[in-house]
Amino acid sequence: MPAPETAAPAKLKYAERPEWADVEPLQQYEIANPLAPILYSEEYKDATDYLRGIVKAGERSERVLELTEHVIRLNPAHYSAWQYRYETLVALSAPLDVELKLMDEFADKHLKTYQVWHHRRLLLLLTRKPAPELALIARILQRDEKNYHTWAHRQWLLAFFNEPSLWEGELDFVDTMMNKDVRNNSVWHHRFFVVFQSGVREGEEDRERILKRELIYVKQNISLAPNNASAWNYLRGVLEHTRQPFGSLAAFVQPYTVPLPASTTDIVDLENPPPGRDADLPCAAAIEFLADVYEERGGADNVDKAVELWRSLANEHDTIRKKYWEWRIREALATSS
Amino acid sequence: MAPTTTMKPIPTDGFPTPTSSAQAETVKVLLEHFVAESSVPNLQKNAHMQFLMRNLSQGFPQRYTSQDASQPWLMYWTLQAFSVLQVGLDPGNKQNAIDTIMASQHPDGGFGGGPKQAAHLLPTYASVCALAIAGRPGAGGGWDQINRDQMYKFFMSLKQPDGSFLVAHHSEVDVRGIYCLLVVATMLDIITPELVEGTAEFIASCQTYEGGFSSASQPYYAPSNSDKPTLLGSPRPALGEAHGGYTFCALASWVLLQPFLPSTSTKINKKALVRWLVQMQGAPVELGGFKGRTNKLVDGCYSWWVGGAFGLLESVGIDPAAVSSSVRSDTQAEDGDWDDVDDSLLNRKALQEYILFAGQHPAGGLRDKPPKPADSYHTLYCLAGLSSAQHRVFPSAARRRDLLDSWTDTVDGGDQEAEAKENALRKRIFVEALSYTQEEGTETVVGGAVNRVNATHPIFNLTITHSDAMMAHFYGQVLPPRTLQRPAQT
Ligand SMILES: [Zn+2]
Repeated sequence: MPAPETAAPAKLKYAERPEWADVEPLQQYEIANPLAPILYSEEYKDATDYLRGIVKAGERSERVLELTEHVIRLNPAHYSAWQYRYETLVALSAPLDVELKLMDEFADKHLKTYQVWHHRRLLLLLTRKPAPELALIARILQRDEKNYHTWAHRQWLLAFFNEPSLWEGELDFVDTMMNKDVRNNSVWHHRFFVVFQSGVREGEEDRERILKRELIYVKQNISLAPNNASAWNYLRGVLEHTRQPFGSLAAFVQPYTVPLPASTTDIVDLENPPPGRDADLPCAAAIEFLADVYEERGGADNVDKAVELWRSLANEHDTIRKKYWEWRIREALATSS
Repeated sequence: MAPTTTMKPIPTDGFPTPTSSAQAETVKVLLEHFVAESSVPNLQKNAHMQFLMRNLSQGFPQRYTSQDASQPWLMYWTLQAFSVLQVGLDPGNKQNAIDTIMASQHPDGGFGGGPKQAAHLLPTYASVCALAIAGRPGAGGGWDQINRDQMYKFFMSLKQPDGSFLVAHHSEVDVRGIYCLLVVATMLDIITPELVEGTAEFIASCQTYEGGFSSASQPYYAPSNSDKPTLLGSPRPALGEAHGGYTFCALASWVLLQPFLPSTSTKINKKALVRWLVQMQGAPVELGGFKGRTNKLVDGCYSWWVGGAFGLLESVGIDPAAVSSSVRSDTQAEDGDWDDVDDSLLNRKALQEYILFAGQHPAGGLRDKPPKPADSYHTLYCLAGLSSAQHRVFPSAARRRDLLDSWTDTVDGGDQEAEAKENALRKRIFVEALSYTQEEGTETVVGGAVNRVNATHPIFNLTITHSDAMMAHFYGQVLPPRTLQRPAQT
């Protein structure tokens, strides 16, 4: 029979470990029969009894780090354990590179937990070394491409430290992620954040050129997969942010609002890339966009055209939102009459 | 609901990606579920009640250890789900609930995720709402044992220079925490101009280019040569994309902040918000459920976070019923029984169908989508979403008048001018919050009366009765009786 693992001491309950004998464990409830209790494992109950004891005593020591790590491994959403751990790290002036290394493991294991990401942020505020962080975030995002906390963490990091070297590769990173999935809305949001919402960086001062670049980018992506709400939202966002009329895109949008023609010409038009051969047309987002163009132009004739398009959405192309399209019609008629 | 054969598949433009594949998988499962039933299923009220009751009396299974820091939430989700199902607790269980919740109150103010845990804004909301349901005034009733002075100090200690709040000390900022704080401060009569200064600007800065709201915005850039961070002007960039949960919290916060906003202050883009909200409703092949972000999957809990958010639009001035009826006749739907009285912007019928077909777990409880298991969180938010799709609960001018008429000022004998100002503000907060009234005669219950559930307050997610009782207590008011509210004749 093989010898048992020698990591055994860690498996012993705190109540059985002499080095913890001086701590008074505190049970959770003082009332006899709490309603709707969670049926914890023995291990979890033991560890949290000691955590409550430690917190009450206000102890800050190495073994607090051991205990809080244990509790966090059993329940990474235990924010009080995180909070107490952070305060203890600071009180002990503990080596933060060791802590960050542990956090790399936790980020992999518990990537959906708020606290994992917030603790990293607190550590980075102390170390002020953001550079290695981008690669780790990129690695996590390979596994969970739409992880909200991870994307928000990346955006915070870029904006907070705001170092040119951090921003340098960001559009390439967007492209890498976009190539994996052009429908990933997190990537589109990140692009908007990088291009429009985080200041103007060196080499990007010519905003006319940036606008043109972004319009070409989004139009090409719409041409690739027209029924992609993320791309249309980005297009609308860019136009609204830069105060461009929707009408400036009418020529591009029009072919997406009608059925695919039987034969297509293979003319490469960078300004107005046409829908591909497999496109599912007409595309509801394009019809909506064109209706907005007519409404924006104003005048009875244009409002009539917009109403006709909204009606086609309400009754045929986007029936789930019938009520909304009918409301748009009522609103437009009420303002134009 | 149209037969599945006529339902348009989600277009993929011959260009599959991981998103469209996950989408196709989900549609397949949903349609299997849909086909399995020939008519709209009943809401399995008994099975859901038993699911909730089992957790309450026998306790939550070990896998709920991940919710150990959310114990007041487990309690609130369960109690409020009972309320929506029109079930009340017996006095013994009520007292037990009160005592259990009060064990999580922190000596320095606020409530923790469990006894002897640090105070946190989220469980503070859950605890106070659970007390609104189970508690009462007087000794042992919970309400008068809430330490409001300490709670206010706790709230102020979390306040950030950009108007936001940490959810707990050393923790993150996000709009869920702000929603929780504003609800509690409003209900307990501890909301002040000082507490919420700058908060509306923060909320507005979380609106993204898509129209929905993100979790937070970026307040600072790192200092180059000083330790003092610089506060950015507004707008500040949103961190993270528009999201259903955050959008509900941001919009509800915005409504609660109205009494503090001068008319010329920061704005949100309402048109973009409405567009984003309606875009979150899934296609017929997704059974009309709601998703939480663009190009993500439908999920039962967004029935409330997004579906329920429509119930707040009237409070920010978007009232589809207000457009003239002469215009309306032009677009009147030709079929449908309630279509001509229903002015909502979402598809209420489809949302109810999603919950009934896909949201119910056969063994009781409700869920994200099949084949996932049921849990307390999805049970409440599916039911609350169902409720908001069945009832119109609106800020009633008639109720507002009644509340104004019956209001009595609190007189402490201090500076008269300051006191008058304070009373005027308290009155406005009180009247606005309790003006929400269930409109009779416009219910849209899919599957008939057996599927009817209780109406909930669109901001608090408590029943009207519970919201009324708790606020009347803390504001020291006697409420005028509620009368039936019929829809205005058009
Ligand atoms: Zn969910």
